[in-house]
Amino acid sequence: MIDQEALRSEPAAHALVERIETMVTEPVSLMEVCGTHTVAISRFGLRSMLPSDLRLLSGPGCPVCVTPLVEIDRAIAVARTPGIILTTFGDMMRVPGSKSSLEAERAEGADVRILYSPLEALEIAEGNKDHEVVFVGVGFETTSPTVAASVVEADRRGIANFSVLPFFKTVPTALDMLAALPGRALDGFICPGHVSTIIGSDAYGPVARDRNLPCVVVGFEPLDILAGLVMLLEQVRAIRDRSEHARVENQYARAVTPEGNRAAQALLADVFEECDAEWREIGTIPGSGYEFSERYSSFDTRQRLSVDVPPPAGPTGCICGEIMLGLKLPTDCPLFAGRCTPRDPVGPCMVSTEGSCAAFYKYDRGNSSEV
Amino acid sequence: MCLAVPGKILEIDGDTARVDFGGITREANVILVPEAAVDSYVLVHAGFAIQVLNEAEAEETLSLFRELAEALDDEGGRGTSGDGGAGATERHRSQADEAKRGTE
Ligand code: SF4
Repeated sequence: MIDQEALRSEPAAHALVERIETMVTEPVSLMEVCGTHTVAISRFGLRSMLPSDLRLLSGPGCPVCVTPLVEIDRAIAVARTPGIILTTFGDMMRVPGSKSSLEAERAEGADVRILYSPLEALEIAEGNKDHEVVFVGVGFETTSPTVAASVVEADRRGIANFSVLPFFKTVPTALDMLAALPGRALDGFICPGHVSTIIGSDAYGPVARDRNLPCVVVGFEPLDILAGLVMLLEQVRAIRDRSEHARVENQYARAVTPEGNRAAQALLADVFEECDAEWREIGTIPGSGYEFSERYSSFDTRQRLSVDVPPPAGPTGCICGEIMLGLKLPTDCPLFAGRCTPRDPVGPCMVSTEGSCAAFYKYDRGNSSEV
Repeated sequence: MCLAVPGKILEIDGDTARVDFGGITREANVILVPEAAVDSYVLVHAGFAIQVLNEAEAEETLSLFRELAEALDDEGGRGTSGDGGAGATERHRSQADEAKRGTE
């Protein structure tokens, strides 16, 4: 059905870029909230095609980047505990903790396994009854339902040696916080397409309404992103010229409905409860995380193992926090591409493939002066 | 991390579907998409189908992009945003209005 080529057609991209050029007559700053967008924008070289007055800022949309250092240290401490098999998505492996990383622990002999799906952890648990299998639960609303479904399945199958470190975060509350930041220069949000498949485009209604910031849900192909920018710019212009009010629009209607995925939402509501969550370098955002509900609390690793971690020691000089708040670009960091590279990363934004520093390093260095 | 890949369901057995991703077949759990059926296109993330794709909407988006490309061709590559650009904008508007109606 979906002809990928048609979503990357160069003539259509040119037509959209021309349209964008005519619309950007004064500075506009838009934030792409999703790390997958950050990578797509860089990978397809969109920044270099766009007018220099259009600033695309990366938000806090890389789940690995916003996981607090103390939680990375906790996952490492769990991996070191005898009798544990620690399972995780690959993105977490190289993130530096205060002193080590999961990858380094694995090299030292810890049993750390990279999974494609949290369901695989259940097979590992069933095959290793004398071990405790822990899954590092990092992710936004795209990922948390898959973990919730795995927990329900573990419960159904009576798997007692499986648990999760819940480091989940939710997007709309974080957007609201960003929108309310004093002194922000932000004209709209490129809303995360796959988070929105779950929560629905309606979820951004309060941000658009209360903060008067256009929210457009956008897909991940180059033409999706360019078309989404046109929709945002039209709103920005209408707000500036005619004092129209911001609203939610959906460029990614093939995958996102206004109400989202009800089955996934029901599962989330059953397995988790909203809680305050700390976002690395940003701070605590009320109601922006998930902890286990009473019914499923036995699946919380922290209830089963007491792992004390000393206060973390973070990297100095890293400005990931300001980058994730949309206040700075990676190229503003004095360590960028010198002391800090993907091979030897200082901060989380350089280590995760979806981090904005890594994306800039890989694709945008040549034209960094244009952004 | 929020990457999700579109594929077509070939068969469903209980909670598990076989999904074709352009020639490569993998299993995906379908518990989060109770409405999915054989031949549905789904987005798959971390081993789970997380949404059924709406084919009519997909076609709408694609035809918008095709029109944009053709409009540019018609201008003989002059590369201005004349009628083609305006037409495209109209389409954007109607798409946007539809989305707006849907979200409010
Ligand atoms: S370049 Fe490195 S040190 Fe600087 S903000 Fe990015 S991750 Fe942090």
